[in-house]
Amino acid sequence: MTEPRKPAPVTPVLTKTWLSPRSWTLDTYTKLEGYTALPKALKASPEQLVQLVKDSGLRGRGGAGFPAGVKWSFMPPNEDKPHYLVINADEGEPGTCKDIPLMMADPHSLIEGCVIASYAMRAHHCFIYVRGEALHCIRRLNAAVREAYQAGYLGKNILDSGFDLDIVVHPGAGAYICGEETALLDSLEGRRGQPRLKPPFPAAAGLYAAPTTVNNVETIASVPFIVNGGSDWFREMGTEKSPGPKIYSISGHVEKPGQYEAPLGTTLRDLLELAGGMKDGIPLKFWTPGGSSTPMFTAEHLDVPLDFEGAAEAGSMLGTTAVQVFNETVSVPWAVMKWTQFYKHESCGKCTPCREGTYWLTQILERMVAGNGTEADIDTLLDVCDNVLGRSFCALGDGAVSPITSGIQYFRDEFLALCDKQKAAPALAGAQA
Amino acid sequence: MTAVQEPKKLEVPEGHVTLVIDDVEVVAPKGELIIRTAERLGIVIPRFCDHPLLDPAGACRQCLVEVEMGGRPMPKPQASCTMTVADGMVVRTQRTSKVADKAQQGVMELLLINHPLDCPICDKGGECPLQNQALAHGRADSRFVDVKRTFPKPINVSTQVLLDRERCVLCQRCTRFSAQIAGDPFIELLERGADQQVGTEATSEITALNKTSEGKEFASYFSGNTIQICPVGALTSAQYRFRSRPFDLVSTPSVCEHCSSGCAERTDWRRGKVQRKLAGNDPEVNEEWICDKGRFAFRYATAADRITRPLVRDKATGELVESSWTEALRMAADGLATARDAKGAGVLTGGRLTVEDAYAYAKFARIALRTNDIDFRARAHSDEELSFLASSVVGTTPENGVTFTAIENAPAVLTVAFEPEEEAPIVFLRLRKAARKNNTAVFHIGQWTTTSVTKTSASLLACQPGGEAAAIEGLATHAPDVVEALRKNGAVIVFGERAAQVPGLFSALTKLSAETGAKLAWIPRRAGERGALEAGALPTLLPGGHPVTDAAARAEIERAWGVDEGTLPAEPGRDTSAILAAASNGKLSGLVVGGVDPNDLPDPALAREALETLSGNGFIVSLELRRSAVHDYAHVVLPIAPSVEKAGSYLNWEGRRREFGTTLEGTGALPDGRVLDTLAVEMDVDLFTQTPASAAGDFARLPSVNDSSANGSRPSMLEVPAAQVPSSLGGPSALLATWRQLLDNGSMQDDEPALAGTARPVVARVSESTARALGLNGTATVSTARGSITLPVVHADLPDGVVWLPADSGDSTVRATLGAGHGDIVTLARGEAS
Amino acid sequence: MGMFDPLKGFGVTFSTMFKKVVTEEYPEIGAPAAARYHGRHQLNRHPDGLEKCVGCELCAWACPADAIFVEGGDNTEDERYSPGERYGMDYQINYLRCIGCGLCIEACPTRSLTMTNEYEIADDNRQDLIYTKEDLLAPLLPGMEQPPHPMRLGESEQDYYVDGPELAKRPGVPDPVGEEVK
Repeated sequence: MTEPRKPAPVTPVLTKTWLSPRSWTLDTYTKLEGYTALPKALKASPEQLVQLVKDSGLRGRGGAGFPAGVKWSFMPPNEDKPHYLVINADEGEPGTCKDIPLMMADPHSLIEGCVIASYAMRAHHCFIYVRGEALHCIRRLNAAVREAYQAGYLGKNILDSGFDLDIVVHPGAGAYICGEETALLDSLEGRRGQPRLKPPFPAAAGLYAAPTTVNNVETIASVPFIVNGGSDWFREMGTEKSPGPKIYSISGHVEKPGQYEAPLGTTLRDLLELAGGMKDGIPLKFWTPGGSSTPMFTAEHLDVPLDFEGAAEAGSMLGTTAVQVFNETVSVPWAVMKWTQFYKHESCGKCTPCREGTYWLTQILERMVAGNGTEADIDTLLDVCDNVLGRSFCALGDGAVSPITSGIQYFRDEFLALCDKQKAAPALAGAQA
Repeated sequence: MTAVQEPKKLEVPEGHVTLVIDDVEVVAPKGELIIRTAERLGIVIPRFCDHPLLDPAGACRQCLVEVEMGGRPMPKPQASCTMTVADGMVVRTQRTSKVADKAQQGVMELLLINHPLDCPICDKGGECPLQNQALAHGRADSRFVDVKRTFPKPINVSTQVLLDRERCVLCQRCTRFSAQIAGDPFIELLERGADQQVGTEATSEITALNKTSEGKEFASYFSGNTIQICPVGALTSAQYRFRSRPFDLVSTPSVCEHCSSGCAERTDWRRGKVQRKLAGNDPEVNEEWICDKGRFAFRYATAADRITRPLVRDKATGELVESSWTEALRMAADGLATARDAKGAGVLTGGRLTVEDAYAYAKFARIALRTNDIDFRARAHSDEELSFLASSVVGTTPENGVTFTAIENAPAVLTVAFEPEEEAPIVFLRLRKAARKNNTAVFHIGQWTTTSVTKTSASLLACQPGGEAAAIEGLATHAPDVVEALRKNGAVIVFGERAAQVPGLFSALTKLSAETGAKLAWIPRRAGERGALEAGALPTLLPGGHPVTDAAARAEIERAWGVDEGTLPAEPGRDTSAILAAASNGKLSGLVVGGVDPNDLPDPALAREALETLSGNGFIVSLELRRSAVHDYAHVVLPIAPSVEKAGSYLNWEGRRREFGTTLEGTGALPDGRVLDTLAVEMDVDLFTQTPASAAGDFARLPSVNDSSANGSRPSMLEVPAAQVPSSLGGPSALLATWRQLLDNGSMQDDEPALAGTARPVVARVSESTARALGLNGTATVSTARGSITLPVVHADLPDGVVWLPADSGDSTVRATLGAGHGDIVTLARGEAS
Repeated sequence: MGMFDPLKGFGVTFSTMFKKVVTEEYPEIGAPAAARYHGRHQLNRHPDGLEKCVGCELCAWACPADAIFVEGGDNTEDERYSPGERYGMDYQINYLRCIGCGLCIEACPTRSLTMTNEYEIADDNRQDLIYTKEDLLAPLLPGMEQPPHPMRLGESEQDYYVDGPELAKRPGVPDPVGEEVK
């Protein structure tokens, strides 16, 4: 664990209990040291808890990697207005499947984390915003919340500490954009899910204009383990700047796709080994380190340490550690087109670059994949991407163009090959059907 | 900028910051948006969603600039319409930054890929921000060769507003205006991504499930503003559709002639015809908004029944026939002189005159007819009101009275006998802004929770109609918090024309104001009332506001007018009702009427009787724009000019002078002042009101109650006890609550079918328990001895035993049919099945 | 001055007698104008007789002499003069002002306004020199129908503008231009 660059073993922390029989029940959870962190936490002061999380170096697992303790400390110390904790369980990033399995297999670790985090932030209401399509998961979560209420871990005067907390499980209505925290808050309030103007940031005026913290499921589920294990234990795993374990969800052309919990900084080479190698031995062509919004990697990047810094250094982002692996049978322009179609479908429409840009990019890519592209289209693609990247209201626009730019960066030849047909007769400017 | 040229540093006042925009150092107040600071420097950053009066959205991304903070450039270009200035900030706009320029061109190209190329048939063509900015900041050619998103052509958002979704750039200005400014969120964004569109219930696919805001059609009194602020041609009006092009229009600044707010407008016309009206920008008054009535109701002036030639009654046939001005004026002068010398002649001016015209009437009455029998109040009125106007209203100006700004900044506002949204829509917008932005506590003494109440977040203090005075007197005991709020510095009490129908209300309000220190604001409904008050078109007041009983003021006016001492009558004259009563009793021989509809008067029957009597035994001169009800009785009809064909000024409710010039020159139509001047000459009297300018000059020379040098003081307020309202009426008797809706049967809204379609439904409102007690299901019939009105019933939170009717909408013509008014007792019964 | 000089002068006269006469026998014999002469305007029609003018006023905007007045109108289902939403309700050209520069026809986005070769537009009073829509509209050719009438070439104006020329060649659709050429 401490020696880098060695094939690291898995470090099951969050996933430790997943294979236990009926792991999602309170019974199993308490048998396996569940709800042991809560009494400890309730004895500490909120400030101590925030400091503990800060010391542990826990970074947000939703993609941006913002230090969780710092985020918590933004909550105002006074309670003029109610404080809210909102759990972002709207897992919709293509390739990402870590929060939903976690809530399916071990919902109580999330609930315990919610209680501790709410206590640390003086919140008495916690909302878990679950992706609406994950109906089974919502049912299981609701059942777990009910169990926790009955056992006195939720409700009034939790474990005689005088602390009250209510948890509401809220199903979303099927919009990718609601994974963006302010759009999620709008949706939670019953409005159209569209990102809000920042500032004011949620910590100042979030849900119902009250101080709010939005955290990812995996982030909050890690909290009970930090309380139990301490910050030093947590820092034993992962790297200096990105400590802790992380659930890597590996999908695509591997022998055993699934969730693998490993320390941050594990390389794809290690992960592939864990996942049984490439499916049928067909060589790797490209992969995403953290879902389709993160620029793709190729076989050159097998040894990039997958932590927040390592991925960024190599020109991508860690994202949600949704590792999608594609072998040589997959056409890059085709995959990029599919992803772009997804973003076009999911763009909320608020800002021009994302709304119109994805609409245009999709049409160009579809035309190219159909064999009607020209070389000029590649330049247009790159220029439109440049006009969308960093110009859109939220990060959806940035994410939408990264597969295209990285795809052209590494596989320009494949795009050029699609233009062969049109080389002889370039499209006339302004000529329309 | 070298050190030699600029040795000293910019002075930075308190609460300001220094920043650099395009290499120019500038001081800006904290919290200002970069886009506005740049604008002050003359640097125009292109934008679509940004609007100074709407909350920032940052949706269009057209205004991207490069920003450097503390020496570190921000990684992405920032939207200058959402980012506020900060100390030490360095901003580079498209003029000095390649990145910003590229970003803006890129966004422009993206906006245009789905924008149709139908500029030639688009109403916005020629004045379109998208067109202009595409030329200034866009690429020369398009790279988009794919398929544009299309929608079926326009849909009617209301009868007046059409929406062309293809053209929409989704800047959200219209939806934000509706939600924030007007509070009528009936248009909303629907769908997402490239399919996102502005829509209503009709276009929404989820109406059955979601009735929150998409549940109703876009019924707003302010919908026209969304058309004006639309930066593309997505929203157009049915009225102006395809009428003309901006480059072929002449724009003349003007003032709205409808209500007493005196909104600044821009009248666009060509070939002697007004094509449209737009809101002018006057931050002190209407900001940039006007109501739909002010925007769309102007075709009354070109209606088919417009009178352009003088008419005289042919002695042989008894019919009105066209005549020359010379003949008509001769006849009118002879008739009026005879009437004056017999039992006298009175003047009813109506409430829609300019100050100059009202002054001409007032002067005409005093020196040509030698009477004080003049009254501008063509509506319910009382002696108490007269006394209140003389003691507390006349002479107030924006400097010493209540203003729009004062309402916006007031800690508390109490509205009594006044329905802001219906009677003075711009006051309503300010009140809403005050409640939204400044947390103004709004209290409303009325009968039910109207839209004005909900949209200004007001607390309703319900009382019975006519019981408003008693409610005010009972405030201290029943609602001490209201009195407490009114004690705060800057609190305002607002009331309207309905106050004249509640005995004791003016007295009670005067007392409340004296007790709490809250300022009183009288907001009449008609544009000319405040000016006519100042001009002395009242039986007890001289022009300038001194009482007619004030000998010194009379003498001074006589000197200024150059008339013999003692010419001005010293006794107070008769008010509107008394003039009409005298006429019907044969105590008055003549009448000069300017724009009065008998159906607006407290007793239409009396008015008709008076006109009938005078048409037989007396003499009636009618000055009218279009054929009016007086027409049939008049001996001489003199045509006068509508407001677009004359110059003048209105005095709005604040006492602010709202001057305007002639929009349509050379139509030959004459203002009332000019007609009266010539008529007076025929009667050997000089009014010196040939032009509005000369009338204004003549008026300015008179002593005003506002001059400190003026001798004489304001009369004191007449004390009237608060009316006692029967606490419970037995059986089918009910108290009538009624006021006019903004869009109703008013003759100045004629010829506007599209506007009329946006009027509110004509219904009777009663409480649920009253409806149940009387078995009112479906329709209700409200009747008096004079007649009855049957309307569909809607339940509202009215007090029991009270029925509300719109005063003059559709079939609900309360004065004309019932002869009753606010606070009167009527009979309420189940309507006959129809 | 020499002795034969007067005769030289006659020589010029004499030789000219045998050259081609340049005098135009106008108005007895009409003189055709040059092919691209800027003559009287014409408002053209679509093959089914609907007007091409959409009342956009761009010709009026382009006119340096302010000779054109246009007012648009709204087509309805019952009363249609042009494909699409908008048509020219009022169209006037004042030939007392027109300088024949042709900027208007360049501005026309639908090729509705073109110029003919007709130059006989003199008159003895001002009123008649203001040509209205009735004077300017192209004559109905065979197969055309006097508007108002519904769109015959297709469902929407797209069919007129994008596919119009193709659709017009379909069997059953009158081909006025073709017939005239034949």
